Amino acid sequence: MAKKKLEDKNSQNGDNTKNEDDSSSNDEEPNFSDPEGFVDDITEEELIGDILKTKPKETDGVESVIVVDGVPVVGPNRIEKLKSVINKIFVKFGSIVNEFYPVDEQGSTKGYIFIEYSSPVHAAEAVKLTSNFKLDKQHTFQVNLFTDFSKYESIPDKWEPPEPQPYQDQNDLHYYLLEPDAYDQFAVVTVQAQFVQIWQNTQPDPTMVEERSSWTQTYVKWSPLGTYLSTFHKLGIALWAGPNFDQYKKFAHAHVQFIDYSPCEKYLVTYSPQGDPYNPDQKKIIIWDIRTGQEKRSFNPEGPSAWPIFRWSHDDKYFARIGNDVLSIYETPSFGLLDKKSIKINGIRDFNWSPTDNVVAYWVAEDKDVPASVTLLEIPNRNETRKKNLFNVADCKIHWQKSGDYLCVKVDRYSKVRKEKNEIKYSGMYCNFEIFHMREKQIPVDSVESKEPIQCFAWEPVGSKFGIIHGESPSINVSFYEVRQGQAPILLKKFDKRACNRLHWSPNGQYIVLAGVGTNGGGSLEFVDTHEFLVMNTTDHFQMSDVEWDPTGRYVVTGVSYWKTKVDTGYWIWSFQGKILKRINLEKFAQLLWRPRPSTLLSEEKQREIKKNLKKYYAQFESKDRMRQSKASKELIEKRAALMDKFNDIRQKRIKQYVENKARRLALRNNVDTDELDADTENVEEEIVEFFIKEEVTIVE
Amino acid sequence: MKPLMLQGHERAITQIKYNREGDLLFSSSKDNKPNVWYSLNGERLGSFNGHQGAVWCIDVDWTTTRFLSGAGDNTCKIWDCETGKEIGNIVTNSSVRTCMFSYSANMAVYTTDKAMKQPCEMFIIDVRNVDESISHQDPILRIPINGPRVSSILWDNLDESIITGHENGEIITWDLKTGKKMNSVKEHDSLINDMQWNKDATMFITASKDHTAKLFDAESLALLKTYKTERPVNSAAISPIAEHVVVGGGQDAMDVTTTSARVGKFDSRFFHMVFEEEFGRVKGHFGPINSVAFHPDGKSYSSGGEDGYVRVHNFDSSYFEYNLDY
Repeated sequence: MAKKKLEDKNSQNGDNTKNEDDSSSNDEEPNFSDPEGFVDDITEEELIGDILKTKPKETDGVESVIVVDGVPVVGPNRIEKLKSVINKIFVKFGSIVNEFYPVDEQGSTKGYIFIEYSSPVHAAEAVKLTSNFKLDKQHTFQVNLFTDFSKYESIPDKWEPPEPQPYQDQNDLHYYLLEPDAYDQFAVVTVQAQFVQIWQNTQPDPTMVEERSSWTQTYVKWSPLGTYLSTFHKLGIALWAGPNFDQYKKFAHAHVQFIDYSPCEKYLVTYSPQGDPYNPDQKKIIIWDIRTGQEKRSFNPEGPSAWPIFRWSHDDKYFARIGNDVLSIYETPSFGLLDKKSIKINGIRDFNWSPTDNVVAYWVAEDKDVPASVTLLEIPNRNETRKKNLFNVADCKIHWQKSGDYLCVKVDRYSKVRKEKNEIKYSGMYCNFEIFHMREKQIPVDSVESKEPIQCFAWEPVGSKFGIIHGESPSINVSFYEVRQGQAPILLKKFDKRACNRLHWSPNGQYIVLAGVGTNGGGSLEFVDTHEFLVMNTTDHFQMSDVEWDPTGRYVVTGVSYWKTKVDTGYWIWSFQGKILKRINLEKFAQLLWRPRPSTLLSEEKQREIKKNLKKYYAQFESKDRMRQSKASKELIEKRAALMDKFNDIRQKRIKQYVENKARRLALRNNVDTDELDADTENVEEEIVEFFIKEEVTIVE
Repeated sequence: MKPLMLQGHERAITQIKYNREGDLLFSSSKDNKPNVWYSLNGERLGSFNGHQGAVWCIDVDWTTTRFLSGAGDNTCKIWDCETGKEIGNIVTNSSVRTCMFSYSANMAVYTTDKAMKQPCEMFIIDVRNVDESISHQDPILRIPINGPRVSSILWDNLDESIITGHENGEIITWDLKTGKKMNSVKEHDSLINDMQWNKDATMFITASKDHTAKLFDAESLALLKTYKTERPVNSAAISPIAEHVVVGGGQDAMDVTTTSARVGKFDSRFFHMVFEEEFGRVKGHFGPINSVAFHPDGKSYSSGGEDGYVRVHNFDSSYFEYNLDY
């Protein structure tokens, strides 16, 4: 308050002098001089802080100066040459008004120079882009702003160890795996108010674990092992974990649209294709360390490309992306290129990591005399373990089997090719499946040919079968093949004329759902046991847009998403045999995702042992199920009984009134009792009606 | 149970009603000609010819001597049941949306639509002696309805009050002695298409465009039960013998974007009245169901649809054996 008064006074003082000039307007003049004994206890900082800020500083005028270190040391005879080289590099960022090359007594440069730009903006730009610039093998620039010196000056000489941070308990992130009945969780997102619900698939009815509105702005995603739930926000990604779904980490990346986890959940890749208009410096792709929340590396990819741009090896050790004729493989945790350079592969079109080994499969397109080929490459030693040449290739799709035992390359081949206005047109298409037996010596390759167009391909996640949907509408067929050692794949079963377009294997194999998804699919569902190819159930969920197996392979969820259709949105839960368990119609339902489970920690023998003794456990589970069922039905009966009692209570009063009013009703209807159908026995009339039973036509001659 | 298909209407059915004994079934349609049928064998007994517009509402008195109909041609007509002759004609200012005889059938009520700059109004008329003069007789009571129009109506069984269901989902009880509102509730979010009594007229069921049917206590208008579906409900009825309700509806014809009947959900759906649990469905119509009615003996029910058919369903024995345990 005092400050304000004084400021006022000050300004009035200023006015005062002016007023003296035109004192005609002011008859009386107040006295502005300080009273005696006045002590000015206000610092200049307070008084004119804003002006002080603009006070010239030592570093003023040098803001546009940069210091470049790592410049080659040359003698006086070559200094002009050096200047022209340096100039070429640095003139790109703005006009250079001044440069200074310090020299020693002999006249040779000292390895560092000063450059002054016309504006600090240019200087900053130059620092950003030429730091770590490699001039040649020996010389890498270290560029700093001149003003940075003041920054580094203020670093105290004595280092003090940072205070240890208090330990923060992050709760048990894997609590959901301790659920004794192995009930799985799933997340449901609705468009309405962006509700996110977490459910536990308890029997007989799922229970809600958590519900929050506006938890995400678009959709949610579980991490691959199920530890984290990621939600999307305008400013970035948030991860939630633990029993209460507390916020675990935040990753600031404005307008992020896509994310991808590394398979072991160590790293998170975020992608903001549009970027942030308020912060043009923001990189489009950022890779984060999930546990520390630190940014590890960022990229600015050119042009559109299919997400995920980066693909991870199964152990989080490497990640790779495809470039123009190169495959760039990066290492963790250094996040640098493996062996400091990309692998040059002419015509590389697509690649994929094996889900279990550090092996990359890639394919290259045909180029004049060079045939197309599929190659397996071991990382990090870059051994080509197998290469298969292919001819007349239009396109390839690489499908790894989940256990990494097999690789199938679906090769679209042509019999004729024409070039029309820079567009390549293929005709006489057919298809080959090249099966690589990864676990055998030399990696033998078998192939199956199909003359029909292929709609879908799917490996059995565990085991050696694969299914394909082939043929053209309306005769769509589904075929199952088995891959055997040293043999071409054998056709096991062919289902003719099926209305489906997607294959969904159970995560444990053996069971499969043939689904007709989307507007053309009609929502047909067929549950098949591929052990004996028994169709367990044929049913449908009209307009269904998604099919999701739970991670244990016990349940299937089909959903109609609001993103696809606006009516009858919701999700249905089925048993793996195709028995409907629950129909949940949820307005504006958008997405359902099962929480993934990490792979089992039990050894192979242990698993085999359990499978062998399944009968022993069977009785136990059976009785548990029965108990649950009877408890549920008991609860239902109790609920119904309560409802009935309550309803009857309300009704009794009304029925009493009704009986009391009988006389009045009779009066209204001429004393005819119409309360019951047969109450009025006097006025009954018998009527004969004819029934039309059958019609016979006899032609009379 | 193979249903009887009553074919006689050329356009969508708007309402169906049994007479008190249930031997006759009356139906009205947008084709201007209400029909009457034998409910037992589906034989058509006759038609009521005379309306020039879609017939929106019908009723028959408790003695089955007179028949009442209201239509889009701005008339409300009273007919002789036996001969099918028109005995009274009232010209109104806009379409007649609802009509009903009182319990004694000494009076009748009809309401007009808010349309053509005319307000929605409710008229109570004396119908003891109907002849041509009824057209210029003053009504006993004329109640202007300010606000959302009346879309369905019920008359209590003591000739004392009327319950109206409105376009905005509101339900109002009117005292006929004073012509004033006695009570009102708003439990529905959208238009109430239909209201029907239970057997003793102490509860009624409403059918609303908001995808639900609801059960109300007649005196207090307290909401007792809610039956949820995924489509607009056009009509609902309560079984006279069991604790069952049947609801009919389906996607509006104008909202059907795909040709598949599965999207429309044109089934009659049976709910347990108390538990609100659905226990059965009857397929058949290939358009929305506009009106459902239980036979007074509870052994059959009928439905009339946008497809122009009335289907009379006799229940199988399994229907009577089926019980929800409690």
